[in-house]
Amino acid sequence: MKSYIRVTQTELIHLLRSPFKTTSILLFVIAIIFGSQNGYQLFKTHNKQIISISNKNTNSIEDMLLTYEGIENGTLEKPRRDPTIPYWAIWNVPSHAFKYPSPMMTFSLGQSEQYGYYKRVTNWSTTYDSDLAEEIANPERLAIGTLDFNFVFTYLSPILIIILLFNIGGLEKDLKFDNLIYSSKITKEGWILARFLFYYFFIITLIFILTIPYALLAGVFENHTVQYVNFLLLLLLYMILWFTIFYFINLTGKGSSDQALKMISIWMLLCIIIPGTIHQITSLKYPTNYMTDHLDVSRELSNNIFNLPEEDIKKSLLKEYPFLQNTQHASDTIMNVATINRSVSGLINSLNKNVSISIEFSSKKKNKFIKSFSKMNPVTTFQNEMNAIAETDFYAYRDYRTRIQDMIDKKIELILEDTWNNITVDKNRYAEYLKNFK
Amino acid sequence: MINIIINEWKNLIRDRLFFYSTIFFVLSLSLVVWMGILQQENQQQSQSDAQNHVRKQWENLEAMNPHRAAHYGSFAFKPLNILNAMDGGINDITGNVLQLEGHVQNEVIYSEASQALSISKFGKLKSSLILQYVIPLFLIILSYGSISKEKESQRIKLLILQGASIDKLVNAKSISIWIYGLFLLVVTVTIQSILGSTNPEIFKRLAFILLSYGLYYFIITSLSTYLSATLKDKTSALSSILAIWILWTIFLPKIWGNAVEKVHVLPDRKTFKEDMRAERNQGIDGHNPYDKRREELKNKYLAEYQVDSLLQLPINFDGIVMQADEEYGNLVWDKHFGSNYSIMQKQKSLYQFSGLLNPFASLQSASMGFCGTDMIHHLDFLKKAEDYRRVLIKALNDKHAYGGSKTGDWKWTVDSEFFKSVQGFTYETPRISNHLSRYLIDLLFLFCWALLIKVLIRVNAVKVNVL
Repeated sequence: MKSYIRVTQTELIHLLRSPFKTTSILLFVIAIIFGSQNGYQLFKTHNKQIISISNKNTNSIEDMLLTYEGIENGTLEKPRRDPTIPYWAIWNVPSHAFKYPSPMMTFSLGQSEQYGYYKRVTNWSTTYDSDLAEEIANPERLAIGTLDFNFVFTYLSPILIIILLFNIGGLEKDLKFDNLIYSSKITKEGWILARFLFYYFFIITLIFILTIPYALLAGVFENHTVQYVNFLLLLLLYMILWFTIFYFINLTGKGSSDQALKMISIWMLLCIIIPGTIHQITSLKYPTNYMTDHLDVSRELSNNIFNLPEEDIKKSLLKEYPFLQNTQHASDTIMNVATINRSVSGLINSLNKNVSISIEFSSKKKNKFIKSFSKMNPVTTFQNEMNAIAETDFYAYRDYRTRIQDMIDKKIELILEDTWNNITVDKNRYAEYLKNFK
Repeated sequence: MINIIINEWKNLIRDRLFFYSTIFFVLSLSLVVWMGILQQENQQQSQSDAQNHVRKQWENLEAMNPHRAAHYGSFAFKPLNILNAMDGGINDITGNVLQLEGHVQNEVIYSEASQALSISKFGKLKSSLILQYVIPLFLIILSYGSISKEKESQRIKLLILQGASIDKLVNAKSISIWIYGLFLLVVTVTIQSILGSTNPEIFKRLAFILLSYGLYYFIITSLSTYLSATLKDKTSALSSILAIWILWTIFLPKIWGNAVEKVHVLPDRKTFKEDMRAERNQGIDGHNPYDKRREELKNKYLAEYQVDSLLQLPINFDGIVMQADEEYGNLVWDKHFGSNYSIMQKQKSLYQFSGLLNPFASLQSASMGFCGTDMIHHLDFLKKAEDYRRVLIKALNDKHAYGGSKTGDWKWTVDSEFFKSVQGFTYETPRISNHLSRYLIDLLFLFCWALLIKVLIRVNAVKVNVL
């Protein structure tokens, strides 16, 4: 045990005396802070934007309530889009679907820059609308990627480890006194392990300490402590992966240069070549979807529905939404064209939902294919796990799309039910609509 | 110097590991180029299918009112240049589908990156990935010990006694390794030319690619050999060159990329949309019959045709209003989208300036640019698609106005013959000569770096202690 403690002490002295290593650590710390700051900044921006939209919605609701009061008192004329008609009343219910950022986003921006995080939902909306596109950003910057904590940790921490470890055991071989060390009480394996453990705990402690201020700032400990702990466990595991690989390299290495080259080659293989190959193979097997099915619904099939006679539309609506059978308009013998026109979005929504299912299914197949490589592609796997914890991965945005679809469905249901029952919307009914989208 | 180069090559060829590595690289590059071309062709096929699909729908449109057809609209699917097989640039990140319709200039949507889990932070395994990351590292491996090895074996004294100066030695050793880099580069470009379709324009682009990578490899090999000569041992040389390589390829591009966004700030989508909407509302609203500006336009046309009511007009005033609405909208789009594009270009220029510190940034920018997959080419596509949208919508509005219908007759229709007569959207990658000035700065920085290292070798090599 004493030998191990002595090895650790010597390693600490060696580290402090090496300007190359200390500078690298300093740069790494700066990168971690810079990355976390970028994540925190985006987290704040998302929250700020969501609050601003919500405030605007509150003002718009107040205006609408005043409009209703005015109409009911007779002091206001009904506007062109009459709010006493359910269709326009529901249109005027400000309903935004938000993808609330998790405070853990501070540590992993993931795919958040690829998607929108707020959307005004109407009965004509779909989950693939253009307003769900990502924030405006320079595409070249997006291609280079943001330096967030996830990137620094996933890609730069192995490089820091290489810098710290490449001459462990190698320097002694370069200077040809390695056998002298192994002739003392400690074995070669034990000696390298002790030195590796020193750096393992050093880096882990450093990273853990650096995450705490940003976790506090973002409010991680309010509701996301479990995710934070899982995140730390993931960091521990990831570090073990790299230390294990490098341990065997150093154990069998022929010198510092030989070890450094092997380490950097492994880094390149795991971080660049393997993910790049899988990316390319995935693209070959699953080319980019041009969403023609979705586009067909938005144009061709919608157009066909618009061209149908009212009677046919009514029949289709009754088939698609059986609850309409019990409404006033269903039993009316006279066709109300306005009612039918205001209900058409219900049929188009059904078409859109079917297309969404098929698009999500093809994404599911693609993701399954990507995941099938997870064992030989550990870096991407860890990276996506971190994104999952931070709720910034593909699945988090898929769930967001599901929530949007639920809101669309709700809007359509309300429109159909109240339109077909000839409801006249007043302030109270409008307030009830609001409750549905709070 | 030529003798040293020949001698170096003899040594390299004798080395079995080098021989096998070369076979490995040539095979890998062939495979990667082939896969890149296959993927590009696959993608291009899907793109053409999608474009043909919407065109067919357009040509087979049932008889409909031209304004309804403007709402029906069309789509532009971003095509891929053959050199996308070499360097995908921003194509995975940007959207691929642009809806072209009346009243609005849309944004390009449905990027590949948004359709699945994230995979690689450094892009697909295309030849650019090998040429930018793997080969430079291999060149470093070949060169970091080139002089220190001679120093350690004391052979350097012998070489100097035979009349070779240190700078000549450094130059010759770096050039011999650089030639190897060039060889791999030529192999890649040749395979790309054989497997992919080529034309003089592609050859021109490939020549610039060759030049950019050639300069970068020269920088890498010269710097590595220089450090090998000036630092005390090969371990120091290796750690220094690796540190520089990491700084250049991993660290600086991201730091600088993030920094330029903070210097030239783009508006957020919400502000962008709100500002555009506010300005758009100041123009004619084609669908609002109570709009004041519409009234002014109406009076102007009534006076021009010397009639009292819209029904007496020999033309359809609705089409005129729609086009006026469109033209006002175009001014608004030009201003706001134009401002965004201008900010993006400023960001790009500032990013290109990082070539002063980081030749890798210049290489990346030049590689994407010459492959036609950078932002400049993307913006060109967006511009051409928008130009087409304006032509398309104007054709529809003109038909609506002057095709023989009367104001208010929304049931008036035109048949598919008219829709067929409107040309479909086609796009060709612009000639590199039209955009060359944008990449000169990248080439200039690469050239300056190469020169700087030459000067360093010349000035500092004499100080190297060989005794």
